[in-house]
Amino acid sequence: MRIVIAEDLLLLRDGLIRMLTDTGHTVVAAVDSGPDFERAVLEHGPDLSIVDVRLPPNFRDEGLKAALAVRAREPRAPILILSQYVERTYAAELLADGNGAIGYLLKDRVTALDDFLDALDRVAAGGTAMDAEVIRQLFARNTRDRGMNALTAREREVLALMAQGLSNSAICDALTLAPPSVEKHIGNILSKLDLPPSDNTNRRVRAVLAYLNQ
Amino acid sequence: MFPRMGRAVAHLFAGVVVGPLAFAWAVATTLATAVLSFTYVGLPLFLVVTWVSRRVARFERLRAGWVLGVAVPNPYEPVAGHPWRRGRALTRDPATWRDLAWLGLSFPVGGLTGVVGLVVAVVDLGAVLAPVWLWAVPNPHLHPAAHWLFNTVPGRFAFSALGLAAAPLALRLVPALSRLQASVAARLLGPDPRRQVVELRATRLRVVDAQAAELRRIERDLHDGAQARIVAAGMTLALADRRLRAAGLADDPARADVLNARRQLDDALVELRRLVRGIYPPILADRGLAAAVAALAADAPFPVTARADDLGDLPPAVEAAAYFVVAEALANAVKHAGAAACEVEAARTADGGLAVTVRDDGRGGADPAGSGLDGLRRRVEALDGRMDVTSPPGGPTTVTAEFPCAS
Repeated sequence: MRIVIAEDLLLLRDGLIRMLTDTGHTVVAAVDSGPDFERAVLEHGPDLSIVDVRLPPNFRDEGLKAALAVRAREPRAPILILSQYVERTYAAELLADGNGAIGYLLKDRVTALDDFLDALDRVAAGGTAMDAEVIRQLFARNTRDRGMNALTAREREVLALMAQGLSNSAICDALTLAPPSVEKHIGNILSKLDLPPSDNTNRRVRAVLAYLNQ
Repeated sequence: MFPRMGRAVAHLFAGVVVGPLAFAWAVATTLATAVLSFTYVGLPLFLVVTWVSRRVARFERLRAGWVLGVAVPNPYEPVAGHPWRRGRALTRDPATWRDLAWLGLSFPVGGLTGVVGLVVAVVDLGAVLAPVWLWAVPNPHLHPAAHWLFNTVPGRFAFSALGLAAAPLALRLVPALSRLQASVAARLLGPDPRRQVVELRATRLRVVDAQAAELRRIERDLHDGAQARIVAAGMTLALADRRLRAAGLADDPARADVLNARRQLDDALVELRRLVRGIYPPILADRGLAAAVAALAADAPFPVTARADDLGDLPPAVEAAAYFVVAEALANAVKHAGAAACEVEAARTADGGLAVTVRDDGRGGADPAGSGLDGLRRRVEALDGRMDVTSPPGGPTTVTAEFPCAS
């Protein structure tokens, strides 16, 4: 994959570049600020861009804003946000357009290399990769909601993995279930969450979104 | 006792001398400066007069401090620069006018306390020493009624006894008068207590603000420093692990160590992240109070209506304290009150302050002296704010905090 990186800390930028090139990817640009990131993405049109939430000059949420600005111009540009901490609000903003191809992970997830590479592939393919921590915050909040109460324990497990962006087969592996039963669970979840089967590709994103915005 | 008396007498005596001189100086210079203030001589004259008056005031401060036993501090604002600016700064400094007030008052106050005090001291000393001086200076032309008292030995000793009897009174009265004069001087010539309170409060707010800014800096430093380094070390280990696997050493004990080290780093990061949230929540640093309150509301495990818009620029200390008030109130509503819904409101008050209110529908009975709420109250009060908790048994609980925000 051709990848653009925006990370202001040299140590992490070099680490990411090494890691990505080691695993057969090409880093076409590595920048350290929000505006440079916007320029680089629009110029290179990469298969994926990775951006840190906090970037110069103010070290607040410039990276997030730059990502949203890029998406406003290129609605399907796949972007993975890496951050030292995850904030549900940020996840909701990223997913708001419902186009998928978005990831939001804690930086330390990078060290689980296989999962990280898997997340990169998912985002580049138009899926989502939400940090387990965001999902945990989500579930902690939603345990009292009506929709959640209707779900069985197993369905909740499936929803958690689905919300992280895992594919059906990945869910099968994680929970050691047979593919038909996973499909059945997902069908139940979507109907209980009142998500009619219309646009099949984005239903997963919309399931997460429904929770984020509740 | 006697050194104090001696000091009081000396002080009162000096006051009687200084008083009229100071008064005359004050009247003459004020008149002259007022008359000449419309000419070129006015400003230099004012500067010279103030210079001299301040020397006199310093002497008076020393004199008062000598009696009171504590130094009277110098109240002046520092002045520097061009004579014009010095003149303006001097006229604006209230201490200049308080000096002048003392110069005027030193005559009546110094005169009154001085004359009364000295007369009492001299008369009493005279009475005690009567046998000596009446013996040395016999006076034949006395009224017959006074004859016994003045010219017989028992009479003279009775006089002395009278003086000794009055001595305790004199020994109290004279130092008291001297202290009275000195404390008036200290009040006028020392720093204005009201001003000191204002300054103290300003200083404290600066300290608290600096502390909040420091916490925010620590949060950033951890983010860019320790946390980033741990993540980088994790990446290196992840690559090492990948190399080991590629080299067919997936079952090598070294790989177990690498994986173990990675887990330890992950734990360190989780720990550090929790610590940072407690110091200065990243969302607050990133987006400010309104967004941070909205995030708290969204993360609560029950419906929370949050109203917090257009809060504008807030001092970091106020922002952090308000955040923790909301966070703690929501946590209490979940943990103790068994609330099903909550309302959070943050708004600027009419006088530019900040008010936050958290209202839940729980069972109430919160203890305002409980460690969590009490710690918050202290934090709010350190900012000159006020925090109230109303939580009757049966509920509902309302926590309000108001902060002044001088900008």
